[in-house]
Amino acid sequence: MNPSRNRTMEFDVDQLDGAGASDVRSGHWVDCLSRVAIQRDRTAFREVFDHFAPMVKSFAYKVPSLEQPDQFAEDLLQETMLKVWTKAASFDPKLASPSTWIFTIARNMRIDLLRKQARHVVNMVSMHAEDEDGEVDLEDIWFEDENSDVFNVLAQQRSRRQIHDSLKTLPPEQAYVLEKVYMEDKSHSEVAAELSLPLGTVKSRVRLALSKLKLIVDR
Amino acid sequence: MIRYHPDARFLTDYAAGSLPTSQALCVATHLHYCASCRVKIRDLTELGAELFSRQPAAAVEGAEFDRLMQRIDSQPAAAEGSATIRPINVVSILPRAVHKLTNGNLNELRWRRIGRNVRLSRLNVGDRQRETSLLFIKAGGSVPEHKHKGDEITVILRGSFSDREDKYAVGDFIVRTRRETHRPVASQDQDCLCLTTLDEPIEMSNWLLRLGLSVINRFSWPQAQHQAY
Repeated sequence: MNPSRNRTMEFDVDQLDGAGASDVRSGHWVDCLSRVAIQRDRTAFREVFDHFAPMVKSFAYKVPSLEQPDQFAEDLLQETMLKVWTKAASFDPKLASPSTWIFTIARNMRIDLLRKQARHVVNMVSMHAEDEDGEVDLEDIWFEDENSDVFNVLAQQRSRRQIHDSLKTLPPEQAYVLEKVYMEDKSHSEVAAELSLPLGTVKSRVRLALSKLKLIVDR
Repeated sequence: MIRYHPDARFLTDYAAGSLPTSQALCVATHLHYCASCRVKIRDLTELGAELFSRQPAAAVEGAEFDRLMQRIDSQPAAAEGSATIRPINVVSILPRAVHKLTNGNLNELRWRRIGRNVRLSRLNVGDRQRETSLLFIKAGGSVPEHKHKGDEITVILRGSFSDREDKYAVGDFIVRTRRETHRPVASQDQDCLCLTTLDEPIEMSNWLLRLGLSVINRFSWPQAQHQAY
């Protein structure tokens, strides 16, 4: 084989060994989810469960000052995985990777459970059920983008790889704020209040992090 | 052409799911009109998924899987796949969440009169800290000058309005912070419909209260216009 061609091959392998390794795995989860969707394959579902359940539970425990963290984590796991099972047919690998899809389900279920809890507490205090009619479904607000025209799988994989690689290089204070916003269910204002920082400081840390990750830069 | 977009703070909090529901509704409404922000949200969601995947694993017992399968087995099988299918012929020009909140029928909402040219209808988005409404301004009409105690977000659904600073069009996401005074005026050629959410109720000037802010009436929506939705 001619050496220059060989080098090209090696280059490809390098790509795979880097962040690309997670893409190979991603193909596996796509496969499992489609077996769950089409054949209602429980072995495939068990695989998905075993891989993602520990993340879903961690994600639940990150919510600060829960009254019953174990119960909450169990509930979030049950609700999220039930959705994965029932909605597997609507999973479209052209729109999202499996981990992104499951993250958005867990995120929406967490918002939903927290909202139900808050409502429960308020109702206990005020002793009457508040007007629930006409309330919007969370999935209408945090909707799945179905316009594949603006979507580009390659671009998405590239940005995932970009994120994967550059997260390590973030200064700790920026990574810390991102972690709080994404994992601990805190808005910028809540993070600012908790850390006794001006809102502007939190905003600029997030903005710096995002531009390091080459995600978004404010106009 | 959309010129006003949610900043990185709103987009990140939205993608993370930590934005209060009413503000998230405003971002979702903007996204309905704005492809470039939808792309950003995809990237920010990828970031969330990456952080999610990196978490240290929490212990999961085998019993939890068994419990889940029991639940699945006790569910009626027919409901499963069909629940996810959405009829494609029910397409509304209103953004999805606004359509849901109003049943797509603006006539049936309770519209509160604010002066001669402005009507306001409150929406229940399950967010007790904020007041979320649809605001209708007749062509050429203006919202009385007001100050905010809290922050106000406005997204234009139809028509356009201008204030001292600029002119805004459909899809624009406009943030006014506390203590900013402004007086939006709808353009002459078209009625203006906006979605708006306030951290704390507005401080209306005195004369407005005299004009009967509390008068609740059913605002009749001109037929031709309604069909445009």
